[in-house]
Amino acid sequence: MNTFDKFLKKPESPGLEVKQGRFEKFNLKENPFLPESFVNKDSTDNRINGSIFEAEIRKKEFKTIKDNFLKNPQGDPGHLRMGFIIDTSYVGRGNGKSAFLINLYREIDKEYCLDISNNVNKCFPVYLSPEPGGRTKTFSRFVDLLFNAIMESGVINNCLAIIRLKALMSIVPNLKPAEEFKDEDDLVQKMNSPGWLGEKRIDINKFNRETSKNQFLGGLPREFPLFKAAGMLTEKLSTQESFKEYYVELKKGQEKLEFMFSHMVHFFRAADFNGAFVLVDDFERIPDFQSARQKRDFAAELRNCLYDGFFTNTKLGFYNFILVLHAGVTRLIQDAWSESGMENRVPLTSPQVTPGHIIPFEKLKPGHAVLLLKRYLREYRIDSQKGNELSPFTEKAVNKIAEISELNAAKILKSAYYLLDRAADDDDIQVIDEPFVEKMNERGMFDPNSKKGIASAETTDLEKKAKGEQ
Amino acid sequence: MASAPYQVKKFYFLEYFYILLKSIEKHAREQDALDMFKLLRETHSLGDSKYKRLTSSEEEQSSRQVKLLYYTFKQVAAEALEYRLIDFDEKNGKYSLSMKGKELLSHYEEGNSYEFNKKLFPLMEEKFKAFYEIINFCYEQNKNKSGLLVFPLYSPIKLDFKKSEIKTTKDILDYSRALQKKLEQDIEEFIGKSIDLTQYNDELIQNLKKACLLPQDESGKFAPDKYNSMIIRFRKFWLKTFLNQIYGYKSGFPSFDIWTYRGKQIGALHVTEFYPGFSGRIVYPTSVIVDHETNGDFEKLFDYANGYSLYIHSPSWADPENQDKFVDALLDAYFSSRKTNRSYFVGLPDIRELVCYKMRISQHLFNVFLEKAYLLNLKGELKVKISLEADKLPHETNAMYLKREPVMVNAKYRNIIAIDIAERRNQ
Repeated sequence: MNTFDKFLKKPESPGLEVKQGRFEKFNLKENPFLPESFVNKDSTDNRINGSIFEAEIRKKEFKTIKDNFLKNPQGDPGHLRMGFIIDTSYVGRGNGKSAFLINLYREIDKEYCLDISNNVNKCFPVYLSPEPGGRTKTFSRFVDLLFNAIMESGVINNCLAIIRLKALMSIVPNLKPAEEFKDEDDLVQKMNSPGWLGEKRIDINKFNRETSKNQFLGGLPREFPLFKAAGMLTEKLSTQESFKEYYVELKKGQEKLEFMFSHMVHFFRAADFNGAFVLVDDFERIPDFQSARQKRDFAAELRNCLYDGFFTNTKLGFYNFILVLHAGVTRLIQDAWSESGMENRVPLTSPQVTPGHIIPFEKLKPGHAVLLLKRYLREYRIDSQKGNELSPFTEKAVNKIAEISELNAAKILKSAYYLLDRAADDDDIQVIDEPFVEKMNERGMFDPNSKKGIASAETTDLEKKAKGEQ
Repeated sequence: MASAPYQVKKFYFLEYFYILLKSIEKHAREQDALDMFKLLRETHSLGDSKYKRLTSSEEEQSSRQVKLLYYTFKQVAAEALEYRLIDFDEKNGKYSLSMKGKELLSHYEEGNSYEFNKKLFPLMEEKFKAFYEIINFCYEQNKNKSGLLVFPLYSPIKLDFKKSEIKTTKDILDYSRALQKKLEQDIEEFIGKSIDLTQYNDELIQNLKKACLLPQDESGKFAPDKYNSMIIRFRKFWLKTFLNQIYGYKSGFPSFDIWTYRGKQIGALHVTEFYPGFSGRIVYPTSVIVDHETNGDFEKLFDYANGYSLYIHSPSWADPENQDKFVDALLDAYFSSRKTNRSYFVGLPDIRELVCYKMRISQHLFNVFLEKAYLLNLKGELKVKISLEADKLPHETNAMYLKREPVMVNAKYRNIIAIDIAERRNQ
């Protein structure tokens, strides 16, 4: 007889008891911090792509930028075309400038600034960071970076979609975007696809002709990529790639500048943008490696393209540059700035009041460290209702960490990582309190110099030891 | 007496003396001894570099290699003759072992290679005083860090230059300037001096141009197969410049190079190119030259005529205090390694570098201590739990040379380590 044991019987051994996760005792899914703090905009890990960001800490800086830049009408001839985010202290590196910049980027990108400026401005953001090691010495190379950053942001595709949608709506007056397109991505994808237009029985030639009727595109040369790939006789649409191919073939110097600072401005305007915010992170990577002459030339070209040259941009002030300067960088570029005349346009220093274009980036305050850690911990809680927001850290412990880390955000996060990592391995430790932080600090667990290794590593003094002095 | 070191012959491994003695013990005729020398050289993985070979050259040797081998043989034999380890009868062209040689050979066969090296030490020092000069030089240069000398060095990749993008003279100039800047920063940080290296950098570039490795014209492309030899020149040039110009060492770099690596085998000096977090080479003494020592943790190796003696730092494992110190250093090194490494297991060679520097002990002593600590841990008598495992060992890779030696513990090679500090409650 079949007893169906296989189905009904239970095993005698209860099975392995599920062990706790490493950080479970702290009500955390994993360690919310990382051993190395750096920011990479394109990472998928929230801990490094800048999305865990405590806006509260940088409220003041955000407000200055919003008031002086984002909300200020681009049509105002006196609007600021360049700004500096300057460190006020030498603790500079790692106090959250990159994270701030990326969040600023996202804020602008969300609604192209329309929400922030109350529909006064429609601007797109560009984020760029010169390579370390001094590859970017010339202005021409800087323009290449700018172009690549624009390509990466995908704004050209969006512009093409906007320009085409406008053209399409004049050919097909009863088109209802809300019904045709699922979301923004769908719109962009369809507007850049000859296939979809074919399905809609739209004559691509006619469509291309309609597209070029846009008032802002009138002054552009015939070989401009928008028209070039979409030859009048071929049934093709130009894409973001066409821009890239075109740019690569341009000659250094005037041709590239003309393209970037005149033609592209027309193009963006055709898509109804009235400005762009170019956020340049780690600007010092450029002057750091430049000779005095290169610095001066760079500043002069910058002035030429932003203020005084014969470009559409100089007339409109379309591109607005915001440069991040570490403490000490102003000294590096001061001479070049005054020799090239940039100092008269956007002074680096101001004797009395802080002018609108300078955004002082302040050191964290003691209370900020608590906010910062809470923000990270919240992101990785298993049960967000349970316990206090800061656990397993005590507030005193966090203040101690902040003090040891000299109020540097990156160091605070790094220290938090090691402390949590260490505490997770020790069953006796439920709370990270001040004495534990002190003990770990004595052991050099988060010595700020530890990366430099040999310069600060302890060693035995053999001469003293041999003499019995140690 | 200080001028002697540059007479030294060009080989790093002291094991060469062993294989020479062994070959001569068996064969008196040069050709026969050479054949055996060649065989033993293979089995001991010796080559011409300061690292042991991982790949064996089974195929027929080219005539150049045969010549080179003969040259090495002659060099080792010449040095052995100087130490009177062997005799050479010019009439019949035959080699023979001296009494001294026989005695030394027995140290290797009864003890181990380390004992052999230590016995070889007085012979070398008597002749050349090379260690006397180098160790004193180290201590003079850096009193604060007990004789630490740093030789920072950065390959193009470390400075964010891609090999594929370095094609023209201008690219090399860009790299050389970035390197110069980095070295200036390092000198300021490690040595505390502010030195403008422009003239040296210019000299280096001129040398490269003179050697026709680099086109005169900035936009000129150099032959891609010259890339490696150019980068090697950068290395050698800056090592030499640091030694002779920045530190002011009187003798040449090649002899310094050879004697430091020989010193490492004896335990008198440590030299490494793999100190974690540092790019370049570091050298520091693991011995002292003093007139007397009062601490028991030293072993005397040599007496000098001036009343001073050379003592190697060799704390004894029998002293529980030393055991504690070692385990603490191991723990600290483990945790600081884990800072950059998120896994439980971290590389043992890194840990070894950190511990050796902190305790100022030789690589050999580290290996001995680690094995002792590991065995105690297996018995459950250590306050922490240590796991030693082997990740991919060097000879399982495509590497040519053994640059980061694994540690032989409990008759197995190990190169990764994990430590658990949680105390076991059930005991």
